[in-house]
Amino acid sequence: MLFNSLDFLIFLPVVFVLYWFVFKKSLKIQNLLVIVASYVFYGWWDWRFLILIFFSTVLDFLVGQQIFKNQDNKQKAKYWLWVSVAFNLGLLGFFKYFNFFIDSFIDSVNALGYNMKSVWTLRIILPVGISFYTFQTMSYSFDIYYKKLKPTTSFVSFAAFVAFFPQLVAGPIERASNLLNQINTRRIFKYEQATSGLKLILWGFFKKLVIADSLAPIVDDIFTNYTDYSASTLILGVSLFSFQVYGDFSGYTDIAIGTAKLFGVELMSNFKFPNFSRNIAEYWQRWHISLSTWFRHYLYIPMGGSRVSKLKSLRNIAAIFLVSGLWHGANWTFVFWGGIHALLYIPVFLMGRNRVYADNVLAERTWLPSITEIFQVLLTFSLVTFSRIFFRSPSLSYSFDFIRQIGNKFYYEPYMHPMGYRMFDFYLLVALFIVYEYLIRRDERNPFKFSSPIVRILLYTLVIMSILLFYDDGVNRSFIYFQF
Amino acid sequence: MKKFILKSVLYIVLILLLLEVIVRVFHLYTEDPPRFIDEYGVEKRVPNHDGYAVTGNRNQNYSKFHINKAGFNSFREFTPSADKFEMALVGDSFIEGFHQNFSNSIGKQIENQTEGIEVYEYGYAGYDFANQMHLVHAYEQDFQLIDQTVLYLNYENDLSRAVYEPNTGRIKMLSSTIFKIRDNIKLLAYGSKIGIVEPLKKLAQRGVAFNDTEKGYQTNELKDSEEEKLKQDQKRIANFKSLINLYGFDKTKTSLLLDSRKTSERFLDFCRENGIMYIDFSSSFEESKKPTTLIYDHHWNAHGRTIIAKELANYIKSKKISKR
Repeated sequence: MLFNSLDFLIFLPVVFVLYWFVFKKSLKIQNLLVIVASYVFYGWWDWRFLILIFFSTVLDFLVGQQIFKNQDNKQKAKYWLWVSVAFNLGLLGFFKYFNFFIDSFIDSVNALGYNMKSVWTLRIILPVGISFYTFQTMSYSFDIYYKKLKPTTSFVSFAAFVAFFPQLVAGPIERASNLLNQINTRRIFKYEQATSGLKLILWGFFKKLVIADSLAPIVDDIFTNYTDYSASTLILGVSLFSFQVYGDFSGYTDIAIGTAKLFGVELMSNFKFPNFSRNIAEYWQRWHISLSTWFRHYLYIPMGGSRVSKLKSLRNIAAIFLVSGLWHGANWTFVFWGGIHALLYIPVFLMGRNRVYADNVLAERTWLPSITEIFQVLLTFSLVTFSRIFFRSPSLSYSFDFIRQIGNKFYYEPYMHPMGYRMFDFYLLVALFIVYEYLIRRDERNPFKFSSPIVRILLYTLVIMSILLFYDDGVNRSFIYFQF
Repeated sequence: MKKFILKSVLYIVLILLLLEVIVRVFHLYTEDPPRFIDEYGVEKRVPNHDGYAVTGNRNQNYSKFHINKAGFNSFREFTPSADKFEMALVGDSFIEGFHQNFSNSIGKQIENQTEGIEVYEYGYAGYDFANQMHLVHAYEQDFQLIDQTVLYLNYENDLSRAVYEPNTGRIKMLSSTIFKIRDNIKLLAYGSKIGIVEPLKKLAQRGVAFNDTEKGYQTNELKDSEEEKLKQDQKRIANFKSLINLYGFDKTKTSLLLDSRKTSERFLDFCRENGIMYIDFSSSFEESKKPTTLIYDHHWNAHGRTIIAKELANYIKSKKISKR
């Protein structure tokens, strides 16, 4: 079920009413409702893949207990941890990467001069959200193994933790210590939490329906017909893609966090205005935070993190970026994209500037950013945007051709919207979006932080009006990150 | 919880009111002048209505209309007489022309390009060929005085019936309370126009929220088969024959306006074989460097309408010369 569908707009209030009015008295029944609602939410897309979620849940629940039981026997505990990792990565490997590895192997064999045809390539449907929930369940096993968490004795709570519908298909990838604890605790309805949830949902819809969906046809046109366009249009296309993917994914996250709040659950922040980052390290502290922290906790730190030799630290950095790239999709373009980010991150790391912006925002104590900050933000945005050419292209050769085209036709040419719309509307939209995000840059969880109720109502109205003004029923409304 | 629900309801009401104000102030909604069926059984607009038609979410196309005494969108009143040269242009929404100011309609442009001619635009959204033939027949006295009649034929949509029946159901539906509410709440009219209430409508109609696109594609494939096309052509030609037999068709002064790219070759052969004249604007549209249709729908835009007017003006000039 898509958040931006009528089905969800009916589903959400029904579950809300059942949750707070009908099943309020028992935590267990409330959690059972969460499971049923989450399975309906997921099964709306394809019920067959519920079996995967269920198996993953059962296995990690049992594995968690075994790891805990064998805490004194490190080898046994490790064995059980590997069972969880092997099962979850096995699921991912089969459904997401099987064809990729087979095709890559055949391509390498062919490159050596042999002639091999792919007979193993399968027609596999990628189950929506598999990269998200497998990582979430693995985090449970890891946390028990590292003694940061005690396993839950309630299967119902654990199943609700795995399938919790607001974040099931596209995150944030929660750690059990945060989400499972809340699911195990009796939730109380709080007015402030619920209203803050509604505000986030509204802001998420704006980012998805207005920013992402209205830019999508332009980006699609430019990337599909890139050979017809000059450098100015190609740069425009990839820059707008940066806003599209941000609007799409952070919009989803806002709706997810907002929906969870309606049920008394606080999910972690996943985006903190990454477009205002002053270097690439800050960007990764602000973009898809739940994935970055997952990799930091369960891959980077176990590998030694930065507490090993410089060379090994660089290896660790390269490893998490390449794996993070591959996590996004079974395509070399994503690995390359990860590689570019590793190359951009390493100099920042070597200069010791990877944590300097961890606790502050752009123009921390002033109204406007300094010239240096503006330059830093523009440079970071440009580098990130450049890397997105690989993120958006269907193949590496396509990405390189796209870049070559920018070099070959390096001149300005006005761009006309593929459907004849006035481009000024979209430029104005993006400009206003940047300005508004700048105004609210200190608090990603409160997009309408204005004390005057009149100002707030006017803002809500304007946001809904802009959804109407840019609504296009011809646009594919699925979320980009569903494919990961 | 009580506070949450009450405040949410209050906020929703206030926001809806503000949205209604914005939609009204910026005239984002489109107006649809009321319709009725007259004593001759002709479906048309209630006379003497002025307003604005809007296309697109952001007023991409904004034009004024004027319903004349005859009940059609036109800059002039229809007063045919024997001592003038008149041309009637009959058709659906393409001819009704709510997508262009009525003062610069196709008819007006034809008059500007052709001396001593009056153009009567009998356009009405929803007319098919049966409506058009019945109208010419019902207003026989007027049409006897009119020198040239051009009927706009959208081949794929207009020949689905062999006899005219007034669509009383639609008139009833449009004057029902639900539609009256929709027309009075401009936000609803606007939402309906931009398609945002479409999923709700589908839900109400079929109990499901969205189309099953796979089924849709399968149906299209079937329609595109040669056998299916032949069947459809035969049916459409039979309907055309039935209509001209039933209501009469003066071949000496009646022509069809059509786009041969969207018209079956079988039907064009039929017209040629039976001496039915047609004006084909397909090549003019193909040669046009600018788009000829609107962004948000398939109707002709101002440029497309200018091309049509030029085609018709040239045609009528040739007819006038031959008449002399």
